[in-house]
Amino acid sequence: MEDSETFTQLPICMDPTSKAITTSSSSRALQEELAALNNLHKSLLQLESPVPPPPIPVNQKRSANITKLRESGNAEFRKGKHAEAIKLYALGLQMALGRPHWEPSGLVRDEVAGLYANRAQAHMAMSNWVEGLVDAEASVEAKKVGNAKAWWRKGRCLMEMGRLEEAKEWVGRGLEMEGNEADLVGLLKDIEEKEKKA
Amino acid sequence: MFGVNWWGLVLPFCYISVLLGSLITFASMYRKRKAAKSANLAPWFPPHLQRNIYLSLLHMEPEEGKEKTVAVPDSILRAALLRRAQEDIFRIIQIRSAKQACSTLLQRGSIGDDLWQRFLRAEKEMEEELRDVVMEANALSPNWGQHIFQSANEIAARSMFTTRLDEIQAQLEPEKEWWEKRRASIQSEFMKELDTPASSTGDEDAVMVESNKSKKKAKK
Repeated sequence: MEDSETFTQLPICMDPTSKAITTSSSSRALQEELAALNNLHKSLLQLESPVPPPPIPVNQKRSANITKLRESGNAEFRKGKHAEAIKLYALGLQMALGRPHWEPSGLVRDEVAGLYANRAQAHMAMSNWVEGLVDAEASVEAKKVGNAKAWWRKGRCLMEMGRLEEAKEWVGRGLEMEGNEADLVGLLKDIEEKEKKA
Repeated sequence: MFGVNWWGLVLPFCYISVLLGSLITFASMYRKRKAAKSANLAPWFPPHLQRNIYLSLLHMEPEEGKEKTVAVPDSILRAALLRRAQEDIFRIIQIRSAKQACSTLLQRGSIGDDLWQRFLRAEKEMEEELRDVVMEANALSPNWGQHIFQSANEIAARSMFTTRLDEIQAQLEPEKEWWEKRRASIQSEFMKELDTPASSTGDEDAVMVESNKSKKKAKK
């Protein structure tokens, strides 16, 4: 890091009408950074207050909407209308991921984990093993511990697609995280039986 | 009255003064040399891009042919400061994770002292930078300094999460193609089995049983 008294003046200028920052230099890092800055600026302009509020007191409206969408998705799933359920879950995911970046990321992770896991279940009920696989993996990425459902679902998708090695490795990792959960142990036994038969 | 033999004390006083003088000179020269060396150390991090952008925006010079600068609106400065805070959070995380490892390596003697000095200097500069950002934040908006780093923390965590999610979603298309190909090949194997006359080799039965199982699964 350079001296705290000095800084490097960069060749940037502001476009007076659109208030976007541009540069005449050809450095790719600088251009990417300025693009990120302009995006952040646009999203900040949509706020009423001049600065992003502190993350802790969260506006409850969005959370309430997301929960409502998840509940209605669950209801459709129980009625057997899997395609409808998938659509509702996708809408909920759009809302959860559209949350502004300065709201607590832990909250986003929880909401996203639940929605992805339920969407994976709906895909599996329709035998879309690939979509179910990707959604279950996304759910695990959002919440690694305490998310036994998602670990189980991806393991099951892999098993159904015949990728038994990967399934065994995945379920092994899941067991490390969840600590001998009954469903995962059962799934591991199923995979091993299938491997013996194949 | 004072029957002190001053002449006799000259030698001891000289000795003490020379001793003290040389100690003081040595100490001051050593400290100056250390400070100069520490100032010449190679920086730990690459140049701070977001900080440069923020300060350049703050000090933009009037362009050629115009009299006044176009005043950069406060909203842009705030966005630039947020980006700067984000990068600082990223660097602080790196420093904190490297600290334990570096001190262990230093104790074992695997790395030299100069690396440790660079690290300590980076840590000090980082603290100064954080204080600087908080002051700038308070200048741009009252009391923002208190929660700017919380917001920047959330933004940083969120952007890392978003990149991971995008990576995972990007796997959807290739996986779909793979699965279609696999299903097609299983189907064609099954069709071939139906076409060839039923001979009782163990292999064919096994293949038929397996392709039957997979076909059943695909149909589910």
